Amino acid sequence: MSTVIIVATYAVIAMFYVRLTLHALRWLEAAVRSPTGRVWNTMSTVRAVASAALDIAVLRRLLVVNPALWIGEWIFHASLFLIILRHLRYFTDVAPPWVLWAQMPGWIAGFLLPIALAYILGIRLLTGQERFSSKANLLTLINVFFIGATGLLMSTKYPVDLVAVKLFALGIVTFSPSSPPQSTLLMVHLALVLGLILYIPSHVLSAPFVMLDARYRDRERQEVMHDR
Amino acid sequence: MTDKRSFGEKLSPRQLIEIDACTQCGECLKHCPVQMVTDNPAISPPAKIRLFREFLRATDGIKARFLGPKVIDPRLLEDFTKAVYECTTCGACGESCPVGIFTQRLWPTLRKELVERGLGPLGPQPKMPGAIERTGNPYDKPAAERYAPWFPEQIRVAEQADIGYYAGCTGAYESQPMVRGDVLVLHATGVPFTMLPPEEEVCCGFPLFITGQHEPLAGLVKRLVEGYRSRGVKTLVCSCPCCVNIMSRDWPLIYGKELPFTIRHITQFVTQAFKEGRLRVRREVRETVIYHDPCYLSRGVDVIEEPREVLHSIPGLSVLEFERHGLNSRCCGSGGAARKVFHANAIAMGRLTIDEAVAKGADRLILSCPACYAKVNEAMQGYEKQIRITDIMELLATVVEQEEHR
Repeated sequence: MSTVIIVATYAVIAMFYVRLTLHALRWLEAAVRSPTGRVWNTMSTVRAVASAALDIAVLRRLLVVNPALWIGEWIFHASLFLIILRHLRYFTDVAPPWVLWAQMPGWIAGFLLPIALAYILGIRLLTGQERFSSKANLLTLINVFFIGATGLLMSTKYPVDLVAVKLFALGIVTFSPSSPPQSTLLMVHLALVLGLILYIPSHVLSAPFVMLDARYRDRERQEVMHDR
Repeated sequence: MTDKRSFGEKLSPRQLIEIDACTQCGECLKHCPVQMVTDNPAISPPAKIRLFREFLRATDGIKARFLGPKVIDPRLLEDFTKAVYECTTCGACGESCPVGIFTQRLWPTLRKELVERGLGPLGPQPKMPGAIERTGNPYDKPAAERYAPWFPEQIRVAEQADIGYYAGCTGAYESQPMVRGDVLVLHATGVPFTMLPPEEEVCCGFPLFITGQHEPLAGLVKRLVEGYRSRGVKTLVCSCPCCVNIMSRDWPLIYGKELPFTIRHITQFVTQAFKEGRLRVRREVRETVIYHDPCYLSRGVDVIEEPREVLHSIPGLSVLEFERHGLNSRCCGSGGAARKVFHANAIAMGRLTIDEAVAKGADRLILSCPACYAKVNEAMQGYEKQIRITDIMELLATVVEQEEHR
């Protein structure tokens, strides 16, 4: 069983890297800007990048069009970020200070994440937007909900052997795998995470690029018929 | 599917990333005018993107690369084609997209792909290239009638001038008060301007571009650019948002180099003329008007303030705004060459514009696009709500001081 889990973990991670590489190649291809030969000055580039960074960090475009959904989405994304940060303690031999700092916020985020997801689903069902959404989207949302729920159960009600978890996780990243801890809840949690990595929505990899491109385009639009 | 070519062939790498980046959140639906009048999820932007992803997987996915392209249900392709062509390409979905996908350009590119596969265009659209070749315009009207019915008799155009004026096919054949207004206002500025002879002022290429029929574009653009160049034009003025959009954004790419002149919308030219004192308003208009932003002028090339400046320069005029205006304006229904194919949608969308203008208490609805002008006027026929529709230059022409009276 342990071997199956280890092989599956490596297979999923390898597939993720292949996917990431294919995306990165496409980003490079698409990064060639301005077929009209417009030359961008440094300030324009800095402004576009800063604007896009803000769009990504606070989901600003969503805030403008749907503040009610935005609050749920922002809490969800921020919680997920903090939870991932908190989990880095398992993958680093000596956890750096910023990972240690993230432990308490990450723990609180563990409670907020399922609430935010339930709120998002509620808003989408109430506004009728869900009928336009794909089943894959809904499945991803449910998957993340259960990842959060199983994680929360392990950190509150059914604790697992954290040393064994760290040995397993560290073993994976250092290519010297050890047996996973004997915990059904942890196995379910891990299986759901691997499922998420395997079917990670492609927008996670593509949306930041498009957000940056949109800011460049906004400036292009302002300049196409104006002397600015 | 017999055609096993890649579905991504006509899309740029950036557009392929955009297809990938759609989160399927559905925020765009609140802004889609076609959704407003049809409430059909199958023709919504997320559904179109979802379906196109399936097509891409079928021809370009990992499985397809190893085992060969998959057969796509022809009915699915047919439904997709209809959905892509039913769109007015107004770009409101892209403007409200939380990711920022450039849909105003994405949908026409998908149409190009569908044309390559023999699935599009639809309705009377396939006749356009032939009509343009015969008569120079997509309406198949004689070139001799391009200017004659509306051009003010007292005005003479120069053979050579720094300023060129392009009337455009829709203005010249379907919205004549608009182009007449343009010429009267241009004349009132006192600046000499030139025009191409009617048989030389051919289609700008936008209807072909927007329906995915790109083949004749290069020839049309070259002909027009060379025509204006030979007349010494330094600034080409036009009032049609679709024309100025393709001229400023795509002509340089199609022509292969920078244009020998600058493109300006007529409201930009007029605003400048006011600033330089070349244009004066001789009387006030005590009315309340509401201004509608054409999609390809606002979302297309960011000409938003200038039309308002023109209206505010008329004393006594009170200018109202639609709930959705500027970059977020709502399409009047005539865009994307869909108005001749999905007529009922276009009429319903036009009536939404009329409804709001009437509800806001405006005396007049001010437009600045010949397609909007033609369609919203048509939408008002037989409708219980009525409002006076006027083009922005048509209105200005009635109040500016003509040069000979100064």
